[in-house]
Amino acid sequence: MGGQKRLLIVDDDPDFASAIKRILVSAGYEVEKSGDVDEGMKALERSRPDLILLDVMMENFDDGFNMCRDIKEDDRYRDIPVIILTAVTEVTGLKFSPETDGDYLQAEALLEKPVSSDVLLDKINELLGPEKGSRK
Amino acid sequence: MIIERGRVLVVDDEEIIRDSCARALKKEGHIVRTAADGHEGVKVFQEFHPDLVLIDLKMPGKDGIEVLKEMEEMDPDAVKIIVTGYATISLAVDAMKKGAYDFLAKPSTPDEIRLAVRRGLEKRNLLLERAALRREQEKIRRNMISLVSHELRSPLAATVQYLEVILGGMAGEISDDVKEMMARCSERLREMLDLVHRWLSLATFDSFKMSEQFEDTSLLDIAREAISSSKPLADENGVALSLEAPADLSPIKGSKIPLEETFNNLISNAIKYNRQNGWVKVILYGKDEEIFAEIRDNGTGIGREHLDRIFDEFYRVDGRRNSPIKGSGLGLSIVKKMVEAHGGFIEVDSTEGRGTTFTMRFPKAFQGTKRVQADVGGK
Repeated sequence: MGGQKRLLIVDDDPDFASAIKRILVSAGYEVEKSGDVDEGMKALERSRPDLILLDVMMENFDDGFNMCRDIKEDDRYRDIPVIILTAVTEVTGLKFSPETDGDYLQAEALLEKPVSSDVLLDKINELLGPEKGSRK
Repeated sequence: MIIERGRVLVVDDEEIIRDSCARALKKEGHIVRTAADGHEGVKVFQEFHPDLVLIDLKMPGKDGIEVLKEMEEMDPDAVKIIVTGYATISLAVDAMKKGAYDFLAKPSTPDEIRLAVRRGLEKRNLLLERAALRREQEKIRRNMISLVSHELRSPLAATVQYLEVILGGMAGEISDDVKEMMARCSERLREMLDLVHRWLSLATFDSFKMSEQFEDTSLLDIAREAISSSKPLADENGVALSLEAPADLSPIKGSKIPLEETFNNLISNAIKYNRQNGWVKVILYGKDEEIFAEIRDNGTGIGREHLDRIFDEFYRVDGRRNSPIKGSGLGLSIVKKMVEAHGGFIEVDSTEGRGTTFTMRFPKAFQGTKRVQADVGGK
């Protein structure tokens, strides 16, 4: 199982994070959860994940955005794909997407909560390239 | 806050005029400051924060128009009145374009000055009220975003996510019976998420912000897009969808996504409240300075008693909880808001059992030279 991919979830909603973790684990990924940005950054330094799933609104309105920027501006982590998961949709007036918010939001993908397991796993597969986790 | 006694700045190079203006206005209880030329005027303006300024047009050095422009940039909500001995129409229009609210001819009697200032202060009150309203609205918006998005949507999202896990068999096998109930739970919660979503979009909608993104938009493209996305629903319901429009339809000033949502909403309603082998037609045409868009169907129609209230928030024609057609009662309120934000108008005509026509009309995009945004009216 040496080739098992490691994913990091950063989300302050423990229920949402554990539901997502279930989906990822059953698809054969190794998963770590962090409840806030600080914890997330520590986890990142401790052991480099293959992909990060990031919530936008945690303690602060824009925690996820800021963490995403920090990751993308750091040479060590820049090439780790980031998927933003958010319940904040464009109707809230915060219209954002990787295309329009280029500099600020350099995430590789943006998915809306709740997310279907197929959509999530397809996106992860796409970002991790052809060699997947140990999914059947 | 209602200002009756205002802070008034008089900028005039003639001492006699300055003094007589100041006297006339102090009599009414206004707080008056004076400045003898444009430079001084702008300086005093910055620290005095007047509600209203009387600006002499002809002054040595910095002239009235220049002073007006600078003050307009510093505080557009301070009311500016131009005072001049050479009142000409073209001068007046020019001053109005640059932000003046009124025009006072020299020499003016104390009564004329007081009257102009009184009216100017009424305008100032309106402007301040508007600014306060916008601030309040913005505050509500912000609270709504954090409250609704986070506190309402997040628990729903987490719950639905768990159900996704359970239904996907990722938490062990469950019986079909349980699965069925879980699926219903999930569906009901998704409906609620959708309702929160719609309500949020209605409550936080800011037509001012949206209009900043307006560009020339063809309703023909919008209608085509909406029809193609409604096609599966139409096929499922056995309803024929068609589009009638001239190829050279003029554009309107608008924003693509809200317009598409508007068309989608009306078209899907027309499909849902229809019958087997019914039809829905989208008809576009230009007439005078307007573009008309009709969504016409031969479906179930809407009873006369509902027509007046159909655009009201949360109003549903079929108010039964077990209604076969799901809806939040917000769709048409959103449609109306979107159409109006585009400077348009929507009305409905319907006969029960025969069908319904929604007619939207939008102003054509202005094709000539850019219009001058002068507030010459406002009186």
